[in-house]
Amino acid sequence: MPLVVVILGLMILGLLMIYSTSSYNAADGDQTGYLRKQLLAEALGSIGVFMILLFPYEALKKLGRRPWRYGLLVAGAASILLLLTPLAHSAKGATRWVQIGGLNLQPAEIVKLCLILYLAGYISENPEDINDLKGYMKPFGVTMGAAGLIYVVSSNLSSAIIIAGIGVLMLFVASKKWVWQAITFPGIIVLASAVVLNIVRTADDVSKLNYRFKRILVWQDPGAYLLDNGYQTLQALYAIGSGGLTGKGIGKSVQKLGTIPEVHNDMIYSVVCEELGLVGAAVIIILFGILIFRCLMIGLSSKDSFGMLICVGVMVHIAIQVSLNILVVTNTIPNTGVSLPFISYGGSSVLFLLAEMGLVLKVAGENAS
Amino acid sequence: MAEEKKRKKKRIPADLSLQQTITIKMALMSFAMFGVFALLLLRTWSIMRDNGEQYKKQVLSQQEYDSVIIPYQRGAITDRNGTLLAYSERVYNLILDCYLMTHDNNNGRSMEPTLAALSSCFGLNVSELRIYISDNPDTRYHILKKNVSYDEMEAYKAYIENFNATVTEENKEREDKLAKANEKAIWFEDQYRRTYPGGSLACDVIGFTTADGIGQYGLEEYYDDVLRGRNGREYGYLLAENALERTVVPAENGDTVVTTIDSYMQSVCEQRILEYNQKHANEYRMGEMGSDDTGVIIMDIHNGEILAMASYPYYDPNKPFDLSMYDEEFINRLVEAQGSEEAASQSLWSNFCISQSYEPGSVCKTFTVAAALDSGTLHDGDSFDCKGYLTFGEGDDTTMIRCHQRFGDGQITVKEAVEKSCNVALMLIGQRLGKERFLRYQKNFNFGLRTNVDLAGEMRTASLVFNERTMGITELMTSTFGQGFNVTMIQAISAYCSLVNGGYYYQPHVVKQIKEESGAVVENVEPVLLRQVVSESVSDLMIDYCIGVVDEGTGVRARPAGYRIGGKTGTAERSGQGKLDYTVSFMGFAPAYDPQIAIYVVIDRPNAASQENGTRYACLLCRDILTDILPYMHIFMTEPLSDAERKELEERGLKDTLSQNSASGNEAERDEQMTEVDTEEEQEELHVLIDSSTGYAIDPVNGEYLDPKTGVPINGDSGIFQDAEGKPIEIEVLTDPGDESDDPRE
Repeated sequence: MPLVVVILGLMILGLLMIYSTSSYNAADGDQTGYLRKQLLAEALGSIGVFMILLFPYEALKKLGRRPWRYGLLVAGAASILLLLTPLAHSAKGATRWVQIGGLNLQPAEIVKLCLILYLAGYISENPEDINDLKGYMKPFGVTMGAAGLIYVVSSNLSSAIIIAGIGVLMLFVASKKWVWQAITFPGIIVLASAVVLNIVRTADDVSKLNYRFKRILVWQDPGAYLLDNGYQTLQALYAIGSGGLTGKGIGKSVQKLGTIPEVHNDMIYSVVCEELGLVGAAVIIILFGILIFRCLMIGLSSKDSFGMLICVGVMVHIAIQVSLNILVVTNTIPNTGVSLPFISYGGSSVLFLLAEMGLVLKVAGENAS
Repeated sequence: MAEEKKRKKKRIPADLSLQQTITIKMALMSFAMFGVFALLLLRTWSIMRDNGEQYKKQVLSQQEYDSVIIPYQRGAITDRNGTLLAYSERVYNLILDCYLMTHDNNNGRSMEPTLAALSSCFGLNVSELRIYISDNPDTRYHILKKNVSYDEMEAYKAYIENFNATVTEENKEREDKLAKANEKAIWFEDQYRRTYPGGSLACDVIGFTTADGIGQYGLEEYYDDVLRGRNGREYGYLLAENALERTVVPAENGDTVVTTIDSYMQSVCEQRILEYNQKHANEYRMGEMGSDDTGVIIMDIHNGEILAMASYPYYDPNKPFDLSMYDEEFINRLVEAQGSEEAASQSLWSNFCISQSYEPGSVCKTFTVAAALDSGTLHDGDSFDCKGYLTFGEGDDTTMIRCHQRFGDGQITVKEAVEKSCNVALMLIGQRLGKERFLRYQKNFNFGLRTNVDLAGEMRTASLVFNERTMGITELMTSTFGQGFNVTMIQAISAYCSLVNGGYYYQPHVVKQIKEESGAVVENVEPVLLRQVVSESVSDLMIDYCIGVVDEGTGVRARPAGYRIGGKTGTAERSGQGKLDYTVSFMGFAPAYDPQIAIYVVIDRPNAASQENGTRYACLLCRDILTDILPYMHIFMTEPLSDAERKELEERGLKDTLSQNSASGNEAERDEQMTEVDTEEEQEELHVLIDSSTGYAIDPVNGEYLDPKTGVPINGDSGIFQDAEGKPIEIEVLTDPGDESDDPRE
């Protein structure tokens, strides 16, 4: 039950901030438009949670076993490939949604859910396989394939990173050979970063650089690249900085008034800081901490490895997304579009997050019985 | 041992071993996550700590303190019935924010498609815009176009929306190449535009407003401070604790001015004036319209309210510099005379009725006669001998002035002198009156003084009339028949009203009421009675004489079909002109025995072959106007119609209200007064006595008092006034004879 309270708390806080940030910028004068859309998605998600809870745990486990597991792969891949069909829907300059019956779904979210179920099923069925390189490469390949597909089809680097992160960390948790993983992956990340940084710094003509590389330059000096993404980053920093300990008070943000682009979306944390101050930021981070902790406790008391792995996947997903989002908003890492779970505006994101929470609650229910 | 070990290993199920691994690593990982979260919070805190003050200032400095003006809405001008003559319509200014245009590209918004949209929706020059933006990249406010209508604004917004929707589809691949239009750098500011829905209707009375909202000419100028409101303001300021406070002071809109003008009468006058000028164009002088100027004023004689004031040429206050309603020849002549096209336009703005003086001519004979009668130097019935000329003065100063009737009018009475417009008789009257009395009465009639009508641009005529020093015998003689001194139309008709309303001189006015935007009345303009000019009996005589002019004198053509009116014609030589030019006029009142309105028609330099034709035109124009206006005022016909007149009325779509009149019986009180000219029999039949102490009618049957309007007994039970057969009848209330000194028949 504490998990449900935490989720509700985050969602209420999120709705509050969405209303606060979106009501001013609402294009057609409909001040509660975003709020109502988000509320609808959360209601749908809650129904999803109940449906999952009614679903027998054994059937859920069966979904992770062969041959159903391949169904998950097919479903994930198919949802990505839907982006190449006329169902694809573009917004804000990127094709990341498919429109089905008036609902905008982000295939990346579907893939995340499928991947968690797939890996939990695969690892619990083949516990020893991942301890050698050959066996490890199979689930790792699936993970990287999904991430690669997402990146290629929807040019969505942040989703690809999150998917890769979920997979790699789930495998890491399950693998007995953990020393080389713990060293190798960070090593690869550091090496790749160094290479990229070098490319960017030695570039003769900055304007010819890919926009992803440019974002690294922006990250290092947002004030110098206002025309690229620097403006958004800098304004978000101003918002955070001007919040102080207790903030300006709810609804009193100045920066949300058209100054920070997409403020109800990826940048919502900056307005949380501006309106609610460090206290508000701490409350949100602590709520996420409790969420992680509850996932950990449910996972640890799970009777089988499948349930544990599901908890690991969900926990990792949320942790990565929270970390990346706040790191971006505080300009600690280069800008990439990651939303803050339960807080940022985004229907399909909250829908699938709730579905994942439903899985965790299902595991918890199974523990209790 | 090895086997045992193996067995031991096998005994531990694979899943359990996996669970152990997960347990350890999961716990470790979540601790790592807590650590990361703590770092996130630390990072947030460090931003607040290190840059908090700087960023707070930065945020405040980005706010807009500059005040935004909220424009007021200028008050409307309506006619007496509330019809809008002028109002301020909400329009928009198209504003370019160069700073956003060049800096707000982070969401893939680009300048080029925005410029293309501006060019296609508003016809703006793209290269000029580009130059302006590159020259002033930090300008936040630049008016690209004024007076953009709501529809134009919506069309632009729809264009941008559609454009941005299509762009996204086409450029899925790369975010930075997106060419979305920048919707934030272009915005619309509220503004008001003065609109005159009637076009040129009452243009001379209303005037117009400049683009800056300053009233020019007419009411717009005279009542500028009433119509004008006060701009509101939205501004921001810093409070002590580094918080921004924005305050809105709403705009105060201007008051509405309700005029005494009646749109229908006004439009009839303008229409007829225009018809006259078009019909008689090129009649005598080629390439000219029917006149240089034509003016008509209609006034309510009982309170000085101006019901219509029209003149030709006119202009459109919506586009005061537009001359397109005139033909090329007219414009060329006007431009030639005025020097430039701008001056030509400007020449049309002044109101002929108040801003131009002329020698009034014979219409002034009424004033001379009234003055003589009032001063006791002349009596009704006095007669004069006209030999066709009069000589006066002695020796070298001997002057001879001819009557317009070369061979003399013979022995004529005062009334006939007015009817025939005899100059000699008038000069003889003038000799009796003398210079001092003449000047005193002229002053009483307000000649030489401004009437102070509430319109901008009334002309001063102080130097255009004679005074004690400048008036010699010749000047006195010519002045008696309206030559030698100048008046404006408004002066003449205001004075004339006093002649026919019992002698009361009211200050003419155009505004009845001033209202707030909400409709609350700020001020009711009451009639201003300045003085009594002549006695009531003189006024009665003047009415009689003027009716004679139309009945059998020079003004017969001015009588509208079915009505009896009074008036005086006027033909004046324009002095200071080499060739003989005339100003012809007709000044009259209607209806004959209960004057309600006065009308004055002046045609300056009629395009007519002869003086007689010119005078006739003035009468005909008056007749034309009254034919439409009198039925509109619910004044019933009193005169039998000839077949030709009946046909004329049918063609105009007007009813014969004479026959209707006897059938309809009792209507409004006003109509009742008109129908007093009924047959003797009817009068006897319905004769009701009036109780002199209460003013109520007395029922001849039972002696009860009756309500004069409804015929219902005041304190009786029967409710309906019945005749012998018990059938309800309508009564005609007759006032006690003798009280009605207004009635000239008595």
